[in-house]
Amino acid sequence: ARARHGRKVPRRTVDLARLMYNEAMTPSEVIRKWKGLDDDVEEDTQDEDEDFFKKPKRTADEDDQEDRSIPRYDLQELEQRWTDEDNLEALRRRFASANLLREKEDGDEEE
Amino acid sequence: MSTTTSPPPIRFTGSKYLVQRLVVSTLTGRPIRISQIRSNSTTSPGLLPHEISFLRLLDTITNGSLIEFSMTGTTLLYRPGLLTGSAQGYGADTSGVLKHELPRECTRGVSYYLLPLCLLAPFSKAALNVLFTGAGVITSSTPSTGDISVDTVRTAILPLYRSFGIENNIELRILRRSNPGPGNRGGGGEVQLLFGHQVRLPKTVHLLNPGRVKSIKGVAYATGVSAANNARMIEAARGVLNPFVANTYIFSDVSSAPLVPDGSKTAQPGAKRKIGVGFGISLVAESSTGALWSADVASPPEGGVPPEDVGRGAAYQLLETISKGGYVSAVAAPTVLTLMAMGSEDVGRVKMGRDVLGTKEVVSLARDLRAFGASGWGLRDADEDEQGDVVVSVVGRGVGNVGRKIA
Repeated sequence: ARARHGRKVPRRTVDLARLMYNEAMTPSEVIRKWKGLDDDVEEDTQDEDEDFFKKPKRTADEDDQEDRSIPRYDLQELEQRWTDEDNLEALRRRFASANLLREKEDGDEEE
Repeated sequence: MSTTTSPPPIRFTGSKYLVQRLVVSTLTGRPIRISQIRSNSTTSPGLLPHEISFLRLLDTITNGSLIEFSMTGTTLLYRPGLLTGSAQGYGADTSGVLKHELPRECTRGVSYYLLPLCLLAPFSKAALNVLFTGAGVITSSTPSTGDISVDTVRTAILPLYRSFGIENNIELRILRRSNPGPGNRGGGGEVQLLFGHQVRLPKTVHLLNPGRVKSIKGVAYATGVSAANNARMIEAARGVLNPFVANTYIFSDVSSAPLVPDGSKTAQPGAKRKIGVGFGISLVAESSTGALWSADVASPPEGGVPPEDVGRGAAYQLLETISKGGYVSAVAAPTVLTLMAMGSEDVGRVKMGRDVLGTKEVVSLARDLRAFGASGWGLRDADEDEQGDVVVSVVGRGVGNVGRKIA
């Protein structure tokens, strides 16, 4: 599966292992690139521009400067995700109450 | 203490991860210099009150530390001394309790101090017994700064130390509860941390089997507001969680709002006022193998959020945390990884969810630890086809207890 798409597979462990100690990037850049959200990191000129414009942006969201132990969650988004049947069903496997043999039995308990 | 033989300080920049860096510096005994602390902030450059308070705390539990600020507070030089714990004659009273007063302007929850303190405590010379008091102690989780509540520290973080062989005589007493006060500042709570198990080296751990969630416990707290809020939060949280785990216990704790001296100029001398009114809930899921996931939501100080939303929000947050997988959650990851890095020179392994590992906090912790001389982490995919968890291998430094004299 790994050989399938050569380089454009985001979130690969190997990539993170390589990026993690790359001191040329800030940790948040590493994460963005690893998740494949940042496509234009490779280009040098683009990079320079980005550095130039990043300063004011970074000071703007001041509270991102502080350390948080709980990440910011969007309640609406969470609620949407965890009222969705498929997600709930997928998560059920992580609970001891789950019956692994017969599935989709008590799926409509939510709501 | 700063002799000419001490190594040159390791340099860092920025205000982020300040506490984390100070902790690792203290544990490894390497001095650090942090520059550009909020240097481009026009409103509040330099260190903030809660950070200064943490430095003070660090100063009281160590002997011979050297802390130097620049004039503006944007540069900090820290030479760690020996971790003495709350030894008599170093700030602790006759019963060995060290009283630490948090400033009124403090916007962080008290867990901001408790988590690093717990990391330092196993390596100190004597037991650590710190009483947090004053107008700045917020025991609830803080919606604005993202700190976890004291209940979560007690039920989700402290049990983690057990797998490192640190388990005796650890107690976190919540003497008075408080939510954040007006403008997210201050609280007036009171918390005592007793950490009496000092080790030479934490055990090497292999936390590879997250198991399945078997029970959910929680605490709903209401300070200075009606106890009905607790019932409503619990009801809403159970509504979400019950289909998954019938084994759900959520305790309810009601207390009156703490009174603190009124600091305003117009007040009568000796006048007191109530602050820290609000409610919140802390949920902890425990798996069959002892893995813990937690969620924390509290009402914002400006109000306007019904308790049902808080309860449901916490339940959804818990599901989200569980779904990220691995043995440790994002909240516990810094604690576990730091303890592993401080362990004996052996490879410890921990399974982490892909989204827990791939956060900037964890990446920067990895970098910081390497800057302090720890070796890099090994990452590999977990073998099973579960959900793409990653096994992180951490080699300990084998430094051992800094409280014992080195060299």
